[in-house]
Amino acid sequence: MGDQKTHTCPWCGLVTDASTLSCPSCGATIDAREVVTESGWAELPGRKDMAKLQFGDSFCQIEGNYVPVADMSLAAQDWVYFAHHVLLWKDPQVTITAMGLKGAWKRLLSGMPLVMTQAQGPGHIAFSRDAPGEMIALPLQPGQAVDVREHLFLVATGNVTYDWFQSNIWFTTRNGNETETHYPLGMFMDRFFTPNAPGLLLLHSAGNAFVRSLAPGQTILVKPTALLFKDPSVQMRLHIERPAGTWSSWRSWGNRYLWLRLYGPGRVAVQSAYTHMEDNGRNITRHSGATEQSWG
Amino acid sequence: MKHCPKCNRPYGDHETFCGIDGGKLVSDAAPVSAAPPQMNTPIVIEAPRVASAPAATDAIERIACEWCHAQNQKTALSCRACGAPLDIRNLVSESGWREAPRIRDMTEIHFGMSTCQVEGEIVPVAELNLGQGDAVFFEHHVLLWKDDHTPMSVMPLQGGVKRALAGMPFIISIAHGPGRIAFSRDATGELVVLPLHPGMELDVREHAFLLASHHINYSYLRIKGLRNILFGGQGMFMDRFVTSDQPGLLLLHGYGNVFERLLQPGESIMIEPGAFLYKDSSVTMNVESQKLTTGFFGGTGMNLARMTGPGRVGIQSMYVHHATD
Repeated sequence: MGDQKTHTCPWCGLVTDASTLSCPSCGATIDAREVVTESGWAELPGRKDMAKLQFGDSFCQIEGNYVPVADMSLAAQDWVYFAHHVLLWKDPQVTITAMGLKGAWKRLLSGMPLVMTQAQGPGHIAFSRDAPGEMIALPLQPGQAVDVREHLFLVATGNVTYDWFQSNIWFTTRNGNETETHYPLGMFMDRFFTPNAPGLLLLHSAGNAFVRSLAPGQTILVKPTALLFKDPSVQMRLHIERPAGTWSSWRSWGNRYLWLRLYGPGRVAVQSAYTHMEDNGRNITRHSGATEQSWG
Repeated sequence: MKHCPKCNRPYGDHETFCGIDGGKLVSDAAPVSAAPPQMNTPIVIEAPRVASAPAATDAIERIACEWCHAQNQKTALSCRACGAPLDIRNLVSESGWREAPRIRDMTEIHFGMSTCQVEGEIVPVAELNLGQGDAVFFEHHVLLWKDDHTPMSVMPLQGGVKRALAGMPFIISIAHGPGRIAFSRDATGELVVLPLHPGMELDVREHAFLLASHHINYSYLRIKGLRNILFGGQGMFMDRFVTSDQPGLLLLHGYGNVFERLLQPGESIMIEPGAFLYKDSSVTMNVESQKLTTGFFGGTGMNLARMTGPGRVGIQSMYVHHATD
C-alpha cells in the first residue's frame, strides 16, 4: 500500500501512478529523464510515437516524429478550435464552424488569422503544420495563462479562452521620406487562458523546443523570432547591441544586433529553427522601450 | 538455382519462397546462359543475405512484412522488398492510420537484379545499384549523383504540351544498369517504398514520386471537375503507376511523416488536399467546399477532399498548403 510508485512529469508536473508509458496530460515519456543544458534550458521531453493524451472525455494521439500530427478523438460534448490551415483530415461527421474574433480589422492588417475554426465532436479530426518540428502539449490549469508568439498555435480545447494583445516591440527606419515600422516579434501575441476547468493547448515549434524558468529579475536575450511562448509574468523589451569593430555610415548597415530581452519571473520557451527577421539595416529612427549596449 | 513461377524472380538454392509474392520457388531446369542478359530475362544472382540460410526443417517459418506483405526469412531484420523493419510492431493510430515504417539507415531493398539502399533519415537518399538489364525512371530534378558510366535516356511521353502547361514534367529520365545512381528530394520527409504486385494501379500526387522500376507503366490521369482542379491541390493531373504481369518497385518521397489508411467500400474520409500523397485507383476523390464566415469581413473558404473507398489512401503530414480563396 505504502510503497506505491508515483511519477511527477518533468514537463507538466502531473503526478501519476507510473502505470502508463507516457504522461496522460502532455504525452511526455514517463521513463525519460529531464534533459537540461548547462546553461539551464530544458529540452522538450521525448514523446513516444502514438503517445496518447486525455482532455475531458476526449483523447489526442501524437503521431509521427518529423512533422507530428495531433489526431484527436473528440467526445460528443467536447470541441476544439484552430486556424483553418492546420487541418489535416477529419471524419465527415465532425462539424466545423467559424468562431468570430474581435478586432478583425486589426488582425487583418497584421496578417493574423481572421477566422478561427471550431470542430465539435463526436469524431476524429487531425492537425499538423507544414514544417519539421515538435508538438508541444501545454496543459493549462484553472487560472493559468500563457502568451504565444503569433502563428505558432495549433489547436486548443474549448475551455481555453483565446485573446491577443499588442506586443509593443517595434522600431522604425527611414528611407527618404518613407518611414517603415518593423515588428520583430509580430504586431500581436496570442494569449490563452483557462478560467475554470483545465484545458489543453497544442503548439508546433519549428525545429527543437527548449524551455527555462527565469528567476525574478533574471534576464536573458533571445532572437525575437525564436520565442515560442512565455508566462504572462515575463516582461519583454527590445535590446539593441552594437558590436565593436564594425564600420557604420550615416545610413548604417550591419552594425547592430536586435534582441528580445526577457525579464523573469516565469517560463520562456524558444525554438531552434527560427524564421528570418525582417530588418532592412537602415538607421533606427524610433523604437519601443529598449536597452542598448555598444562594445568598443 | 531457383526462381519464382509467379513473378520469375531469381533466387539462390537455399531460398524456399519468393520474397515478393510468397510463391514456392522451383528449381531452374536449365543453367543460366553466359550470353548478355536481356530485359525481363531471369538472371540468378546471389543477393546479400541478412542472415544465414534456414535449414530445410524450418523453411516454412516466414515473417510477413506488415507494410507490403512480402514474405521474409524468419531471421531477417528488415523486409527484403520494402525495407520496413520486421522486428517492430505496425504502428496504427486509434483512428486507423498506419504509419509508414521508418526505414533503418542503410537498409537494402531488392528488386529484379538490383538493390536500393536507403541512406539517412531526415532527408533520405535512395542509392541504387542497378543490375544489367534493369532500369528505373524518375523526374530529372531528384537526381543526386551517379556513376559516370551509368547510361541515361529519356522516356517518350504522350501529351507533352498538356503536361508542360499543367506544370508536370514532360521529360522523364531513365537510368539503365549496370551502374550506381542516387536520388533524393529537397525536404525533410520519409521514403515510402511501395512494391507493386502484378495488376496494381496506384495514383500519386504529381511531383511526389521519386523513382519507379522499369516494369511499371507510367501514365497520368486527368483530374475531372473544375473544383477538383482548382482546389484539389493536385493541379490538372495525377501520376498513375500500373503493373501488368510483373511486379515493380515504386519509391515516393513524403514531406514530414507518412500515414496510410485502408478505406472500406463506401467509407469516406475528408483530408486537406495538400496532404494527399497516393491512393489506389479504386478510391475516388472529390473536393468539397465550406464557407467559414464571420460578420462583415466575410471569412474564408475551406476545401477538403473527400476520399471514398475501397482502397488505400496515403497522406503526408507536412502538406503543401494551397490558397483556399
